[in-house]
Amino acid sequence: MEMNMPPKPKRSSKKLVKRFIISISLVALYLWTFLSINDIIKWDRVFSERTITNFDRVIPKLFSPDYASFGKVMEKMVETLFIAYAGSLMAAILAVPFAFLAASNMVRNKFLNTLGKWILNAVRTFPEIMLALIFVAAIGPNAFAGVLAIGLHSIGMLGKLYSEVIESIDMHVVEAMEANGANKIQILFYGIIPQVIPEFLSYAIYRFEIDVRASTILGIIGAGGIGTLIVISVANRNWNEVGMILLVIIVVVTIIDYLSAFIRKRIV
Amino acid sequence: MIEFKDVSLVYPNGTQGLKNVNTNIKEGEFVVIVGLSGAGKSTFIRSINRLVTPTSGQLLVEDENILAYKGKSMRKLRTKVGMIFQNYNLVKRSTVMKNVISGRLGHTGTFKSIFNLYPKEDFALAYESLKRVNIEEKVYSRADQLSGGQQQRVSIARVLTQQPKIILADEPVASLDPPTSHQVMKYLKQINREDKITTIVNLHFIDMAMEYADRIIGMRAGEVVFDGPASEVTEQTFEEIYGRKIREDDIRGGKEEDEQHS
Repeated sequence: MEMNMPPKPKRSSKKLVKRFIISISLVALYLWTFLSINDIIKWDRVFSERTITNFDRVIPKLFSPDYASFGKVMEKMVETLFIAYAGSLMAAILAVPFAFLAASNMVRNKFLNTLGKWILNAVRTFPEIMLALIFVAAIGPNAFAGVLAIGLHSIGMLGKLYSEVIESIDMHVVEAMEANGANKIQILFYGIIPQVIPEFLSYAIYRFEIDVRASTILGIIGAGGIGTLIVISVANRNWNEVGMILLVIIVVVTIIDYLSAFIRKRIV
Repeated sequence: MIEFKDVSLVYPNGTQGLKNVNTNIKEGEFVVIVGLSGAGKSTFIRSINRLVTPTSGQLLVEDENILAYKGKSMRKLRTKVGMIFQNYNLVKRSTVMKNVISGRLGHTGTFKSIFNLYPKEDFALAYESLKRVNIEEKVYSRADQLSGGQQQRVSIARVLTQQPKIILADEPVASLDPPTSHQVMKYLKQINREDKITTIVNLHFIDMAMEYADRIIGMRAGEVVFDGPASEVTEQTFEEIYGRKIREDDIRGGKEEDEQHS
């Protein structure tokens, strides 16, 4: 039986040359990168006896956590959770007006709309740690600085996600409410909020999950939470305690992730 | 009651929605607007509650030119004009009751409606409306748990709760199967008779238009090309309105079955 094969795709010589050049340059780039590693890294120092003894001293201690410090660590972990909770709660509420401003189906004015999007973009550009540095300098090294840093940064992401939720609602419902004489505020409460609330909640919980992880690090620059403890223990070379801290962080974050996924599945 | 005086509408993109429309709809009439899609049926209906605004002419509702309306006066107009849509336009995540009571929004203060502080009579009226379309047992179900026909009946109940003087229905049966379509039309007709509510329905099924209308208005390319009592209408009239032969999909067919499942 004669087989009817599809025609071979046409290859122009221009395309072939282009591909050839791209592959050659990629290979060259990798070669150059790996060859120059040797000049910078002193391999004999990396694999020296000292490294091995250092490893020997630190790693086993990390794996035998200092259970006696559990109370102290847990206290700080709870503070971390509170920072994350207060920060994301603040953001979950404050993000709403920005989200409406940035949603193109709510604000028809192009200028205001773009302004809203820009504000949210700008807020997201700053990493939490930088915001925390600013707030620590402004209001002193305490947990409130951490809350503000987390909150402000989260507004950027939540506002953006919220505004996408608002843009995806069924506008026909809004039209139906307009058609029966409802005013703008009534439309908001009857037509829009019921459509967006579950997604808003889901994103807020997801953001809390991220904020728990983010706020563990804030203490390193003095913005409260478990990070402070890490800095102190590392400075004291108290590796057993660092081990304990890591263990607590891992367990708590895992539990939070699991709970958050569970709740979010039931909401939407 | 509703009077179009030389009404035209040109959309911003240049499409002519309505072209020199002159017609007069009397109180309590059941009018069906027929025409192919794009003929201007929707534009005609949506002009009456100002979801679209004609660009010239005068449109009188109860002897007032509604084209001048803005803000508050427009909301007042819309409170007395109820509307039913092809896709029901219910809030899917809200209960049937919340959807139906939203028909009272135009009659209720902002603060009271937000905190669900409707007068007792309003809740009674909402429940009564649900009873009239035989769906009162679903009062606390979520709207998205209902079938299409049931959702359309809820949206009729919402309009009834609004206590309008005019009901507009924009292709109310286009998403439904033949038996459900007849059921929905039957309810609209019944409400029109019992409450003397002027009703204007967009349809493109010729058999349904002939069966339910008192009066048929035919449109093509934004113009009224036929206007007369349903009794005078034949298939040939439709061929003239549509400008082509009648096809199978212009006919809905089917008869209402006894309700077993709803």
